Amino acid sequence: MADAATTPTSERGAPATSSVQGASLTNIAWQQFKKHPMARVALVILAIMYLLAAFADFFAPYPEHDINPNATFEPPTAVHFFDHGHLTWPYVYGEKKSIDMKTFTSVWTVDTAHAYPLRLFVHRTGLRDRYVPFPVNIIPVQLRRVLGIHGWATLHLFGVADPSDQVEVHLLGTDDLGADVFGKLMFGARISLTIGILASLVSIVIGMLMGGLAGFYGGWIDEIILRFVEALSAIPDLFLLLTLSAIFYPLHLPSTTQFMMIIVALAVIGWGTIARAVRGQLLSLRERDFAVAAKALGASNMRVITRHLLPQTLSFIIVSMSLQIPLYTLAESVLSFFGLGVQPPATSWGLMLSTAQNFAGVTGLTSRWWIFTPGVAIFLAVLTWNLLGDGLRDAFDPKSRR
Amino acid sequence: MVPYIIRRLFNLIPTFVIATFVAWGIIQAAPGDFATQFAFDQVDPNKAARIRAVLGLDHPWYLRYLYWLRNVVLHFNLGTSMTSKGSVTALILPLMRNSMVLLLPATLLAFAIAIPIGMYSALHKYSLTDRALTVFSLLGLAVPNFFLALILLAFTVQWYHHFHWFLLPTGGMTSTGFSDFTTWHKIINVGWHLIGPVAVVTLSSLAFTSRIMRGEMLETLSQDYIRTARSKGLPERTVNVKHAMRNAILVIVAYIGSALPALVSGAGSVEFVTGWPGITPLLISAIFAQDVYVVMALLTIVTLLLMLGNLLSDLALAMIDPRIRY
Repeated sequence: MADAATTPTSERGAPATSSVQGASLTNIAWQQFKKHPMARVALVILAIMYLLAAFADFFAPYPEHDINPNATFEPPTAVHFFDHGHLTWPYVYGEKKSIDMKTFTSVWTVDTAHAYPLRLFVHRTGLRDRYVPFPVNIIPVQLRRVLGIHGWATLHLFGVADPSDQVEVHLLGTDDLGADVFGKLMFGARISLTIGILASLVSIVIGMLMGGLAGFYGGWIDEIILRFVEALSAIPDLFLLLTLSAIFYPLHLPSTTQFMMIIVALAVIGWGTIARAVRGQLLSLRERDFAVAAKALGASNMRVITRHLLPQTLSFIIVSMSLQIPLYTLAESVLSFFGLGVQPPATSWGLMLSTAQNFAGVTGLTSRWWIFTPGVAIFLAVLTWNLLGDGLRDAFDPKSRR
Repeated sequence: MVPYIIRRLFNLIPTFVIATFVAWGIIQAAPGDFATQFAFDQVDPNKAARIRAVLGLDHPWYLRYLYWLRNVVLHFNLGTSMTSKGSVTALILPLMRNSMVLLLPATLLAFAIAIPIGMYSALHKYSLTDRALTVFSLLGLAVPNFFLALILLAFTVQWYHHFHWFLLPTGGMTSTGFSDFTTWHKIINVGWHLIGPVAVVTLSSLAFTSRIMRGEMLETLSQDYIRTARSKGLPERTVNVKHAMRNAILVIVAYIGSALPALVSGAGSVEFVTGWPGITPLLISAIFAQDVYVVMALLTIVTLLLMLGNLLSDLALAMIDPRIRY
């Protein structure tokens, strides 16, 4: 009964797209999606961002928790392409920090005596420089040990050719701990970019279940669930989220557990809207002939809900998920910005911006502009997800097409 | 009308009780309590237990909810702050007022700007201006408002470094020596401090609100009666203003109530960044200190205000929309 889900949609979409009559839901959606140039651009940008996050160890010149107390707030390293007017292989100069004894601010001077060329595909073999490459690092450490997987990698996309390892390249400078902001952006993206997807998945599962129960059974179950959703939505999201985070942040949990707790907290504030919408759809769907027929053929209630009714809401779910992800990304950044979300040594874009809050208020925008870059990253991620969501909505919802 | 209002007010009671009970449950689910920080007191090992007994923290959590509810309903008493040892109401009210001073102008301004923008976009659908506004609102939706506030703060500092005078204050609500100012001076001073936060809250809610307005106006413009009005030869202006705009306003009124939670949340992070002495900074410090009655009181008051806001916008809708029967 796979095409049960497609029939009504293609019927409704028929006048607008008569040439693709008989095509499946995904086919029609893809045809429509291709008409949305901005959504396609957004898809490409998002793909690049997720690739950068996945292979952050490779793209970042330095390891994840690498800090340097002697090089805090180092300005971005200038990469030179010209040597005496001639195009050469890119190189950088070493930089030295000194304290201006009048204003007690650190002054960085460029030492132009020696040029250090940049190298592509460098191996950094130090014990602290080795990393576990992407698909392996999502397996928990304990499981890796049991399975006997000991994958190490040493390759980085680029680095400085300096045998003493004193000269470093920081494309976006360093933060208050002397960590490379360029690399940290990509490591932070691992949390900032996935938390939205996972939280929306959890909230959709809860929302569909609760909405399904409420819409199908009606009566007092419906009343209880609706009242509960109403009560939850009466508390402002930010306040509810902050209060929820107070449950787990004092426990000093390991960062993976902390990550999961944030996902749960985000899902708690978001499932209500989905449950309400699913309930509304189910109220009309359950009276439809195919649902009555399934029931008459002896299908159990659970089977009717999960196999016949909920698949009908699929396109709604896809669209609302893609529109929820940017909201969750923003919510996580706010939570971490307040210090109640992701805790160091783990990092996320919101947490990185709290550094900007602590240090940039005194020095202004131009002198330490690079610590504001996580904000630009959040902006880009939310913008592209929104564009993608708009494209998907137009693709799946025949009414919103032009 | 009066029976309708009374019925609606009675409907609020279960929502209020469930919401506060859920909030209480969440707060109590946090590990430890206010007394935990004294658990390892070297001089007085029983200090934590004594504080628990004094504050009543040794009773089960659901009983304490009932005590709390009784005090709120019967005596309008929101409890005692554990950190400041004063009445929570006295602690919260001035901050609540400060938050309102920020929130109300921002809300009014956001709607005052968003409604004309949305109307214009809908009436000139896919025109150059509409496309520009669409791009603007897409960009606006993606900027976290705390980031916008941070940028503003950094810009202010930058301005000071450059010109050696403050275009905008770097934070807070009043300047030093505020209590010695004359009344007019005080108002101007607060107004000057308001510019930044209000601008940020307005800008960040503008994008979303103007999109909603545009959508509602488009929905109205596609109705049959609009086509009828056009086909009977009414001038375009009359159709737009008398038929479309008046009906779109209904939806907007209903929307104001439901937009309030997002506005409160949005203003919250701006308060935090700009050091505005509102309720959000208090909430965060109360959460860190596990000062449960302060957290609870803030959640309760804001929830209550939002429910009343929703009710008011529903009532306004019922009054101006003849189709609604009550």
